[in-house]
Formats: sequence, C-alpha cells, structure tokens
Amino acid sequence: MIPEEIIETPVSLNMSPYSGAWTKEQAAHLLRRTMFGATYQQIQSCVTDGMNASVTNLLSVPVINPPLTTSANEGISAFNTTWVNSVYPSGDTLPTENARVYSLASWTMEKINKEGFSIAEKMCLFWHNHFAAEATFDSRATYNYHNLIRTHALGNFKQLIKEITVDPCILFFLNGVSNQSFSPNENYARELLELYTIGKGPLISTGDYTNYKEQDVSAGSKILTGWTVDGMKSTTLTSPFAVFNPAYHDISNKTLSSHFNNTVVSDGGDIEYQNYIDIIFQQPEVAHFICRKIYRYFVNYDLTTDVETNVIPILAQTLIDNNYSILSVMQQLLTSEHFYDISLKGTIIKNPCELLFSMLNTSQSSPNYDLATNYEMYLNIYSFSGNLGQSYLSPPNVGGWTSYYQLPSYSRLWINSTYLKQRFDVGAYVSLYTGIQVNGNYFKINALQLLNGLSNPASAQSVINDLCLVFFPKAIDTLTKTTLKTIMLNGLPDFEWSDQYIAYSNDTSNSSLSNPIKTRIETVLYRIFQMPEFQTI
Amino acid sequence: MKRRDFVKNVSLASVATPFMLKGLQFQTIAKELFETPKSTEDRVLVIVRLSGGNDGLNTVIPLDQYDNLMIQRPNIIIPESSILTLNTNNGLHPVMTGMKNMFDQGKLSIIQNVGYPEQNRSHFRSMDIWDSGLITANASTGWVGRNFDALYPNFPTDYPNSTYTDPFAISMGYQVAANCQGLMGNFSHTVEDPTAAYNVASSNVVNDGTYFGSHMEFLATIIDQTNSYGAKIQAAANAGNSLSTLYDPNNPLAVQLKNVAKMISGGLNSKVYVLNIDGFDTHDSQVLSTDVTAGKHSDLVKKLSDAISAFQDDLNLLGLEQRVAGMTYSEFGRQIASNASYGTDHGDAAPLFLFGSCLNSQIVGPNPVIGSQVVDQLGIPMQIDFRDVYASILKDWFHVDSTQIQTLFEHQVTFYNLLGACNVGLEENTLSKDIAILYPNPVYETATLKFNSENEWVKVDVIDFSGKTIDNPIDSIIEPGTHSIMLNLGHLQTGEYIISIQKQSGNQSIKMIKVKN
Repeated sequence: MIPEEIIETPVSLNMSPYSGAWTKEQAAHLLRRTMFGATYQQIQSCVTDGMNASVTNLLSVPVINPPLTTSANEGISAFNTTWVNSVYPSGDTLPTENARVYSLASWTMEKINKEGFSIAEKMCLFWHNHFAAEATFDSRATYNYHNLIRTHALGNFKQLIKEITVDPCILFFLNGVSNQSFSPNENYARELLELYTIGKGPLISTGDYTNYKEQDVSAGSKILTGWTVDGMKSTTLTSPFAVFNPAYHDISNKTLSSHFNNTVVSDGGDIEYQNYIDIIFQQPEVAHFICRKIYRYFVNYDLTTDVETNVIPILAQTLIDNNYSILSVMQQLLTSEHFYDISLKGTIIKNPCELLFSMLNTSQSSPNYDLATNYEMYLNIYSFSGNLGQSYLSPPNVGGWTSYYQLPSYSRLWINSTYLKQRFDVGAYVSLYTGIQVNGNYFKINALQLLNGLSNPASAQSVINDLCLVFFPKAIDTLTKTTLKTIMLNGLPDFEWSDQYIAYSNDTSNSSLSNPIKTRIETVLYRIFQMPEFQTI
Repeated sequence: MKRRDFVKNVSLASVATPFMLKGLQFQTIAKELFETPKSTEDRVLVIVRLSGGNDGLNTVIPLDQYDNLMIQRPNIIIPESSILTLNTNNGLHPVMTGMKNMFDQGKLSIIQNVGYPEQNRSHFRSMDIWDSGLITANASTGWVGRNFDALYPNFPTDYPNSTYTDPFAISMGYQVAANCQGLMGNFSHTVEDPTAAYNVASSNVVNDGTYFGSHMEFLATIIDQTNSYGAKIQAAANAGNSLSTLYDPNNPLAVQLKNVAKMISGGLNSKVYVLNIDGFDTHDSQVLSTDVTAGKHSDLVKKLSDAISAFQDDLNLLGLEQRVAGMTYSEFGRQIASNASYGTDHGDAAPLFLFGSCLNSQIVGPNPVIGSQVVDQLGIPMQIDFRDVYASILKDWFHVDSTQIQTLFEHQVTFYNLLGACNVGLEENTLSKDIAILYPNPVYETATLKFNSENEWVKVDVIDFSGKTIDNPIDSIIEPGTHSIMLNLGHLQTGEYIISIQKQSGNQSIKMIKVKN
C-alpha cells in the first residue's frame, strides 16, 4: 500500500546473475514464487542442484492428463476417460455440460495439487489472470483455452496473442463472434490493446491513451471482423473451432493512429488480425507492459521509479531480443541478483490458491481414493478457493483479479475481515479438524508425511526450524519459534518428543504411537496457518 | 469528549431565524423544539455501484428524443407504449415499477448526464476515477476515504477505540470498497452475513519497515478490527429489525439492503454502506431479440428498482427515512447507437439516481440531446461533473464544510441542491478563518496551499518524517487576505511530511502525503 511508511527499498537493482550464497533461504524463496507449495525435500534438492540447474528445471511445462469423466450425467464419454473431444448429446445438454464443468473445476485444482517441480501452474494462473476469460458454455472450448495458455506458458508471447485472438472461448468472452462488418463490436479490440498487449497510458488528449487512441480501438474492431465459432455444443463435431467468414469481414482500409505510425491495414482476410498484431508488437511498449505484469506477479506490486528505470527495461529488452520468448525473461528474472534481494521476500499476500496449496502441497497431500471421490474432494477445494475470492475458470472481470492491478492495495485485497476469518477456518479444517469428507472418506494434510520429510524429525527444534522454512517467507524470531515448539510439545521438554518419535519410527503402523505425533504436528500447523507471516510469500 | 463525525461543530444554538414546522411558524427559542433533525451525526449514505457501465438511455428514457433514439438503437429501444412515464419528457424502463412509485412519492431523483471531463472508456480506469473522485492518474485514495481521513486521523492504527467503536463504513459482500480507501487503510469493513460470529486469533507481529513488515502490520490490524467490529455488527444485526415484505429473497441486492436496514435499525453507527450489483457490461444480448423489454439489462434494472424500493419501504416502516439517503453510480454510460448483437459498447455520461425522503428536486439537468445521424462510437456528453455530485452530497447530507470539501477534489467544486430538504434547523458550518488547506493530498507533483493571513510575517516549511525542514517556500511579510500558493513537490521522496505555517495570527500544520506518479 502506498503510501504507508518509509519502506526499505531493495538493496540491489542489479539484473545480472545472482552470485551470493545459495542456501535453503534463497532456494525456498525461489520455490515460493514459482510453485504453489514446495516440500522441504524440494527445497533441499534445489540447494543441492544450485540456482541455474534449479531454474532450468523449473522452467519446463510437464504434460498432464486432460480432465476425466466421473459422473453418469456426462452421458457421452465413459467413466475415467476424457470428454474434451466428445460430442454433446442431442436434446438436453445441461446434465452433460454440468458434469463437464465440475470435471474441469476439479481438474484445475488437481493440476495445481500435483504441480511437480515446475513453474507451470504459476504461469498458467498468470496467463489466466492476463487473459481473464470466464468459462464458456461449451466446456471443451473452456478446456482448449486453458490448454492453449498452458502450451504457450513459457513460449512466444506474440504467438500466444495471435492464437488467443481467435480462440473460441475468447471469441465468445469478448464478443468477437458478434463483431461483424456491418456493426463492429469493440469489446475485444479494446481489451487487446488495453489489457493484453500495449496497455493504456495516461489520457493525454481526447481519446488518446498515450500508447493508442480510440481510433485504434475502432480500426481494430474492423480488422477483427468476420471471426465466428463453429461446433459449440455440437452433437457431431468433437471440438469447437474458429471460423473466418469473409462475408462478415470489413474489407475497407483501416488507418491506425500516430501511435502506430498511421499504418494502414488493408484487407488481409483471415490473416489480417495477425498483420495487426505484428504492427502492435513493433512498439517496444508491449514488452514493457507484459514485463511489468510479470514483475508484479512474481516479485513485488510496487513498481518503484528504481524498478521502472533499472529492472523493467532490462527484462523488456531481453524479451525483444529473444523474439518475445517468455522463458528468456523468466530465466533472467529468476536468476537475477534483484530477485533474491532480502527486501523483496514476503512482499506478496497469497492468493486463495496459493494459500490452499501452500497448506497441501508442502506435504504432498493429495486425495488418494477412487477417481470420483478424488474429483469430488478437488471440487470441495475449488469451492474453498471461490469462497476466499478466487474461482479458477471464473475471474471476476476482464482485467482479472483486482489484487493484480488495483492501486494501492494490490494483494492486500485478498484480505479483509470476511476473507481472513475464512482463511483461518480453512486452515483449521485441513489441519486439526476432520478435513474434507466425501462419501465417508476424508482428505486433509498428511501430517506424518510432512514430518517424515523434514531434515531431522526426531529433533523438536529441528522440526520447528524446518516448518518455519517451509511456511514463512522470512526468518522468524526465536521467541515465536519457542512459542510454536511449546504448542507442538504441549509444554513438555524436547527429549519427550525425540522419545515419542523414535518409538513411532520403530513401529510406524502402530496408531497408538503415530496418532499422538500426528496430532501434535496438526496442532502446530493449525497455529501456523493463523499467523500473519503464513499469509505471504 | 464530543463525538466528532462527518460534521464538526454543527452549532444548533446559532439558529435563530424563524422556520416553518408543519405549516406553523415558530420563533425558535429552545433547541428541544427542533429535535428533528437534531444533527447530521446519525445520517447514513447508502451507495449502490452498478458495475460494468449501465446503459442510461434504456434506464431513464428521454421521451422528447424518442424519434432519434429509434434511429440510433432500433434493435434495443423500448417501445414507447411500455415506458413508465414520469413526466412529459422522462420515462423509466418498464420493469422499474418500484422506482417509478418512489418517483411519484418524491423519493427518487434523477441526475442527468453525469460523467467527467475527457471520458475514459476503460472499465478499470473509469471505475478508479469514480471511486477516487480524482482524475489524476494513479490516485490512491477514495473520495469517502479522504473525507474520513480528515476527520479520523491515524486510521487504522488507532481504531476502533472507546469513542469510535463501530466501522466508519460497511462494504456488503467480500470486497472492501475502493471509494473508502484512505491514506493508510480502507475505512470500509466487509460484511457478508452480519449475524455471523467473528472471532479470529490475534497476533503481535511487528512492522520492521519492509514490504513484508508493512503487510504484517496490516494483517494484525485487520485481525483486531475483525474481532471488535465483528462483535458490534453482530449485536446490531441481532438487535435490528426489518419490516418490509417487499424484499425478494432471490434478489441479492435486496437481501443485502435488508441486512443494511437491520444494522441501521439495530444502532450501528456506520456512516456509509457500499453495495454492488454487477453485470451491466452489456455488449451483447442486452435485450432479447424476441422481446426488447426483456433480457440482461431488464433483469438488472428490475433487481435494482425492486431492491431499492423495498429498502425505502422498510426505512419508512422503521421510521428511518430521515436518516438514510442513497445514490447509485456506474463507471460510464454506453454508446448512443446499439450494435448488431443487441447490445451497446462503452460510452460516456449517464444518469444516476438519488433516493430518500430529503431530496431537493426530482430531475436535475436537461435531457441528453440525441442526433438523427448515427456517429461511430458517440457517447452522451457530460453535463454534470460526478465530483460535484459527491461534493453536494457531502455538503447537503453530512454538512461537511464547503472549504473542507474543496480539499477533497482537484477541480473547482460546484454545489447543487440535492439532498438538503431535511436540513431545516441546520446551518452550514463555516470554517474558521485560521484554517489552511492543501490540495490535492496525497501530492504527486504540485499542490495548492490555501490559507488566510493578516498583514504579517508568514513562514511556510515542508518538514520531513524526521523533523528536518526540506523546503521553505514562503518566509516573508505578506498582505492580508486569502492566499493560494502553488507548491512544487515533485522532487520529494514518497512518504509523510508536515506543511507548517507559522504566523502571528495562528499557526497551522497539515499532514501531507507524497506519492509517486
């Protein structure tokens, strides 16, 4: 929040490679920003592998399975097979579509829960926030949109913009399908400039937003005329697709404003939009715009003058020099001295997905029942996230979640009295309480799995140190650690913990030995999840 | 200590002129004679935001422009015969029967063609402008928040306390209200279900001066406020009442307004309630192709009209009508011409509604003029600056001093008579002559310092956080009168400063916040 008080500014604005100490602190910071919830072992191997190898490993997008059928309402696809290339039934499609929407929602949570050692899911959410499309009425199109942004998550930004422009989900979301030569609909043309590529600068004269003019919105809408979608909810076509209809395309010459050198875009049929995007990308401001957004998402909301001067131009130049490769920018950012500056730790308040999966993924807790039960459990998590203000598949508006753009509070908008109480309630639910219950099966944090993955589970002090590393963005003072240890030990001396743990590890199937250990870890997690420090990354 | 409010020092004793009460003339002797309104202290403003950009021309229909509207929007225009006629020149969308009744009872005002100069058609930028009340880029405070900042310094750190036990503003739902953003915190407390119990774990983290530390302090404050404000809200909602039978339980806005009525009647001392209804971004299918009186927009304005008229009915039954007034707003209107997808694209000015029983007039401003030629992208030009609507509400409803109001805005404020009909017995509080104001504040590049002096030596200093004098723009004998000086502050680091004015006739100091552009 600006202004608040005198904020300690980053010591280093240097974008050259980080060459300082590479310890668990730096490794944990890297993983907190690139994953939803890294385990202690992942942090440890990140230390062992070193920064460069770790960043290289993180910057890959694993192949994942598409959403699966779990409900009889699906009607077309068989149980445990995917529906993303299946037709719709003739007659009432509602039961099928509802089943697909639920399947898709579960899938979004599952893929985050099983993210692996990869930046993929953080990037997918970044792009979902950037191209903040709501789920459309044919879930196959919604899936295809999510698959598209995943495919290009670290790819070529210009290519992504081109494909997004004619993506069926986006064509419906921003009224591209009703943008016709005889009556242009400006919705997409405006957002393409304002939100997707070049961004809106200050209004410097009537209709002139520094980087573009109303004239460009109007011209752009004409350039983009003629695109429509075929196959939505089709009973014969297995996937919706974009169609160019020349009869609806405005073939006149479209003159762009002085911000695009008064370029005239002449009729280019079904590649005219690509020509237009190439013209937009000739402006270096496009690279600056997306790099600012990357910086806000991965580093800090506060684009100080120093950052604007020393960081953004370097990243933008890297993007331009590497033909708009997002990977090149991420590689530079995540290995830069600036990224590891101590003052930039804990600058981001977790979004609801980050909150939930920092509870679950840190212990690699996943529901492990039959497919239908697992999906139902993920649906519960999906609704938790929605109650906390973030529904994957359904950003609140075309600009994405307010926390990523709204001055002056940014990520603080995830916190208010309603949300905070619910954050604490969810934390209690998955730690100390029973957890998510589906058909008599329960899913919550696997506390023993968490404990057994730590460096020295038999040492109470070591357990607390490791938990603080995993759950807090910065070192915690000794008094707080002592308090947490007192909670974990219920006031007993440390050796009692060691004795109990050793007894348990010698006979792990004995619940009379494991349950007391498990309950103590859950109790300390319950407290950790209510600490303000836990709310940040 | 006297409870301060939106209004400071409203002096009833100064009222000595005859006034009319129920048709009889009284010479005012004792203040007990005019208990109603005793002051504006317990007044409440309800703000309903229509997110997405409401199509004003299909909400309040200018009947004298109907022929040209037929040319501009043939596929969405409401048939003349079904429009709810308010008077010769104005009508409402046919589903807005609740608001039509309110209009007939004098409880609804329409302010026409409200917007701002150089209209920006981005939802985000435009909503920022409406919420901040500032055209300056990157404005970081809201118009309600700035006014509260002037009255309740050191928010949120020092609140709640024994004097101010209740939230200053309530935002219904899950999001704080951007118009309540103050310099240091947001004055609105979110309430989804006012009867739900609140008790969350407290914390004692410290702010170490980093971004992280600042977040820690923020979180600790929210935790404390959640507990203490939550208890007050719950008590009020449980003690409060709602008597109207007109609320539709399936209309979310109506449900929220019913909760607002309960909180007010239960004694909660919050001054402002902010509510939201979204979905007004009707680029397509604004109306049904088969029935132009039905569709997305019709559903939305029906919900709006039904909810507000139920709320007004409730206020009447609860005897709260003199205490509660409301307004609606939306980030922009839509273009005059419709598009082929039975929708409308982002436009400029639009009408807004005021409601309550203290309205001065029913229709403010002339009807928009609609041309007979379709002009690409044309919107309705602004005639009434939205900031003047805010300013007039602060003046009429909360009796904020007009000089203080001026400090909240960047432009020269014009006041309209909007909500003053219940102010018999109240006089405007004039600011004492030894006040000094600085605007805008927070400061980006330049700010205007306005102060009064005798013929005397005046020294103005800009003092930083540590007490060091950074700048000394005035240090001389100056003429008597009111002075406006422009301070160039672009070179200052961001942070808090004090503007100190030293003179024989009285010293003043103003807390100034410098922010980056």
